Amino acid sequence: MRSQTRLPAAVAALLGLSALHPSPAGAQDVERGREVYEQWCSQCHGSEGDGQGPAAEYMIPRPRDFTTGLYQIRSTATGELPTDEDILRIINEGMPGTTMPGWEEELSGADREALVAYIKTFSQFFETLGAPEPLEFPGAPGASEERIAEGRLFYDSIQCFECHGAEGRGDGEASSTLQDDLGNPIRSADLWKAWTFNGGSTVEDIYQRLRTGLDGTPMPNFSDLIDAGFMTDDQLWNLAHYVRSLSPEETPTPEEVIVVGQVAPGELPGQLADERWGQAESFYVPLVGQIIENPRWFDPSVDGVWVQALHDGSEVAFRLTWHDRSRSPDPGWLEWQGWVLDAMAPREGENLEPAPRPDGITVQFPPTIPEGMDMPYFLMGDGSNPVYQWQWSSVPGTAVKAAARGLDIYEPLGAEGLTSEAAWEAGRWQLLLRRALVPADPASELQFEIGVPIPIAFFAWDGDNSEEGARGSVSSWYFIQLEEETPPSTYMAPLVAFLFTGGLGVLVVRRAQRRDREVQAAAAGIVLPPEPRPQMARNFGFAVGALWLLFALAAAGNSVGGWAAGQTDVGFWWAVITGFLTIAASVALIGTARHRYQGPRKS
Amino acid sequence: MARYERVLRVLAPAVLLAVVGCGGGGGDAAGGGGGGDAAPAEMPFDVATAGNITGSVTFEGTPPPPEVLDMTSEADCAATYTGDPEVSWVDVGGGGLADVFVYVREGLEGMSFPVPGQAVVIDQQGCQYRPLVAGVQVGQSVAFRNSDGLLHNINASPTANRPFNVSQPVNMDTEREFAAPEVMIPIQCDVHGWMAGYIGVVTHPYHTVSGGSGAFDLSQLPPGEYVIEAWHARLGTLEQTVTVTTGQTAEVTFNFTDAMLSSAGTPTDGPHDHRTMARVGGVAE
Amino acid sequence: MGRYTKHPFWQSLAVVVVSYALIRWGIAYLPGLVGITSAPVPASVVLQYTAIVLVGVLVWVSDNEERWTRFKEPIHAALVEPDKKVVRMSMMAVVPLLVAFATFNNVRPTISAPASLRSIHPAPPTQITFRGETIVLEGLENPLREPDLEEAAFELGKELYYQNCMPCHGDYLNAGGHYAPGFNPTPLELRGSSTIAQLTESFVFWRIAKGGPGLPREGGPWNSAMPVWEDFLTADEIWAVTLFLYDQAGIAPRTWEEEGIEE
Repeated sequence: MRSQTRLPAAVAALLGLSALHPSPAGAQDVERGREVYEQWCSQCHGSEGDGQGPAAEYMIPRPRDFTTGLYQIRSTATGELPTDEDILRIINEGMPGTTMPGWEEELSGADREALVAYIKTFSQFFETLGAPEPLEFPGAPGASEERIAEGRLFYDSIQCFECHGAEGRGDGEASSTLQDDLGNPIRSADLWKAWTFNGGSTVEDIYQRLRTGLDGTPMPNFSDLIDAGFMTDDQLWNLAHYVRSLSPEETPTPEEVIVVGQVAPGELPGQLADERWGQAESFYVPLVGQIIENPRWFDPSVDGVWVQALHDGSEVAFRLTWHDRSRSPDPGWLEWQGWVLDAMAPREGENLEPAPRPDGITVQFPPTIPEGMDMPYFLMGDGSNPVYQWQWSSVPGTAVKAAARGLDIYEPLGAEGLTSEAAWEAGRWQLLLRRALVPADPASELQFEIGVPIPIAFFAWDGDNSEEGARGSVSSWYFIQLEEETPPSTYMAPLVAFLFTGGLGVLVVRRAQRRDREVQAAAAGIVLPPEPRPQMARNFGFAVGALWLLFALAAAGNSVGGWAAGQTDVGFWWAVITGFLTIAASVALIGTARHRYQGPRKS
Repeated sequence: MARYERVLRVLAPAVLLAVVGCGGGGGDAAGGGGGGDAAPAEMPFDVATAGNITGSVTFEGTPPPPEVLDMTSEADCAATYTGDPEVSWVDVGGGGLADVFVYVREGLEGMSFPVPGQAVVIDQQGCQYRPLVAGVQVGQSVAFRNSDGLLHNINASPTANRPFNVSQPVNMDTEREFAAPEVMIPIQCDVHGWMAGYIGVVTHPYHTVSGGSGAFDLSQLPPGEYVIEAWHARLGTLEQTVTVTTGQTAEVTFNFTDAMLSSAGTPTDGPHDHRTMARVGGVAE
Repeated sequence: MGRYTKHPFWQSLAVVVVSYALIRWGIAYLPGLVGITSAPVPASVVLQYTAIVLVGVLVWVSDNEERWTRFKEPIHAALVEPDKKVVRMSMMAVVPLLVAFATFNNVRPTISAPASLRSIHPAPPTQITFRGETIVLEGLENPLREPDLEEAAFELGKELYYQNCMPCHGDYLNAGGHYAPGFNPTPLELRGSSTIAQLTESFVFWRIAKGGPGLPREGGPWNSAMPVWEDFLTADEIWAVTLFLYDQAGIAPRTWEEEGIEE
């Protein structure tokens, strides 16, 4: 496309023409593009291309306004138009961290190219400015510890922390004052979540965004600084490598079951900073806006929580970690609250004014461990099925227990037996919650059981994002499972299987060899004397009988245990198994003892 | 200048001269309109026939108090002020109204003027733009200077021109030009939400910004009838029709009142409200 | 070499091994060729198919006395011949070890969520109470699917869908919304032939109006995050969204005639 338009542009410049018209896309393309746009894009971007479709008010960041010709993700310098490839890339891949999805699988190649042609008609700049020239990006140097360390220093020296925060979690001093070109509030990127980077998560993507800036947002470009000799390309690559190193290589995906690792009794970490947390696996739980019950909230601030959990057989401890740009309530964010509340539809419910609000997180469990997947309503239960909660709030800063029967309908259960410790640092909350497996009040509180999946769900609020009550972010149900000590029977069973199979093998071989000898002897006309009773087979028979008897005893133990724990069905079935095993053991033992060797079989 | 270099690399060296001669009218720099006009080296009229305009901008009523700026996040900037850091958007300290962009809006159509070679400097000092309001001719350089030596970014959001967002982490100058007339272009530092400024871009040299006394001069105009507009960031615009005759000095006075303040809305609910404020005067053509 | 390839024992062994590999990995590979992601092949399927192959092989080797004898030769040799002692002893060590290992894998404690079994479509009630009014669903068609109403209804439905439903069910009605990964079970995909294409519009109306909390006890647990839309939308608005869903996805609703109910 560009190579075709360059020549006419040069000729036009030569002739001193005021307006340069690149060869326009075919009228048919534009017409097809309009149809596709009307069907799939106008809802958000508006029929006029002004980014004010009917759904736009439900989204932050807002959909792109095409009439300005201003594009965030480009391969061109700041203020330049994007290339056709740039626009097509966003259509194909979408913009992570926003509501814009990718359309590569959904629309045909021709339709997507027609869309590019149509979208360009919304801004006159595509006609008057001619085809833009992409910047030349050198190849990425490989990552190394040195580069990352250098990048970290450079991050500080060019003061990225002003917006992105000292540790890069988007919590810089300026982060509460940021607005985009349309005057809507915009969050500085949390550099620990590369999967939410609007322009992609690779180190090349990051480098290119540094070179081009993200026009329409507060993020400036750095090409000017390289051109002016204030920094080198290599320094920018170091910075890109440092930024990339903050996020995990792969986008974290939730596991359905959060494993609560087992530690030795008394070895449970009692504090947030305990080194033993380093050994606990971290599970990511994504959170999304509560858009199910009135009032709904389409602009949640907390988009995920990392969960670590350990138990020592008598207590369980959780360490929750989530990013939050401020320690609420922070008066510096009151203005931000006003912008967010003004910007976001549907403005349901009350308390739509900026106010000092605390941060909070609630951990939900069913009051008793349910059968299978039958769980209470994940939005804090309902009238007939309550949930058991641990509610933590940054004011007063401790956690309490509660039973909830719907959003904001809950009965406090005090704090007895629930220990908590919270700390906010550089854009990150960490919260420790610890309780005995057996609760203070078993009638209203969950009793944690080892080895059984237990439902768990989360609800989080960022007070400085005006979140409270139903306005927050939620997860649906996940499970925790407390690791159990491997019971001795786990090792017994394979041992028995080994001995049994081995013994069977020995019998088969011996029998085959004896028959072989008999056949050979018969052929030679020799009559073999009757063999003495094989002692080994006899011993084997006794061994099998004894083992079965042992199993029967173990099963009987389980049966009694089941009855004692009130699990009558478990106790009953173990009793049945005990019976079978006892009969089998008796048959084996009695049969072996009574067996008389009858001499070689006559064939 | 990097943008131009890229264009030039594409074009033949012979074309190069033509484009430079056209005042950056190549494909890359052209704005909404008029960007391709040739900029002559000479004034397009007989300078001997010129006349002048002089005048003043006044303010009646009670000006709003200066806005106190919370610079706790930038101690180095705060230290440059003797008292609380503040900014006076309605500045009547010198007797008249300062920071009013006065320019010829109508009456010069079809005329092309030489582009001044000297850049207009907007300094970032004490975490404020100095001056708050500046005027520049199409194609003329604006030098954004960082005297603070800490991170600023210059985020310009014009509509008739292309926007840009430049980072300045150290003491340095960045030069930019505008290809199309536009009154006014808001500029913004996102790192320091209170930092706002305006640039008026017109096709001719007859523009100025009123000083502390409210006085201004527009000199050496060709004789004719002009519509003069006065633009203020918080008070909106006023216009006057003036006739300039050879060798004479026409006088004009703009009277802003505090009533206009209330109709224009209260200043800065958010850092970017000035962007909408900037549209009050409309786009000059 | 021919000693092995022509021998029924080795032939049988080869057949069983190759069949197992095909069943275990070959089946899963096929859908990928036509662009469909394959679910993992369940262990029970692998077991059944392998067992069938095994029985077939045994029938084949034993249906002829000579072949049967030849088949047994290597086994017999391994059991009795003095020069096969190494083979014999190693088999006797390896086989029990394998069995022990398999047993251990079966009995050790594992961590997994409870299995969720549910029918795809719940049984609809014959009538519902919508904001205090009784609506009989049986035999009910979309009242907005009339020539003079359809276009406006589509536009209204489109607006409402993208404001309210898109975060989960996606821009393309493919359950690809930006909130979709936050829910388990994941939101319903509305395209394709298996979801709303199987349903009447009045069924869809009921599901939208009553949401997750309105699902029947039987067939559950559902754990649905679908809101109760009668709290947010009027009946006409829900009909408009219903109409939009079918038209935008390019599928036709099931009619009551197909359901076998005369209007």
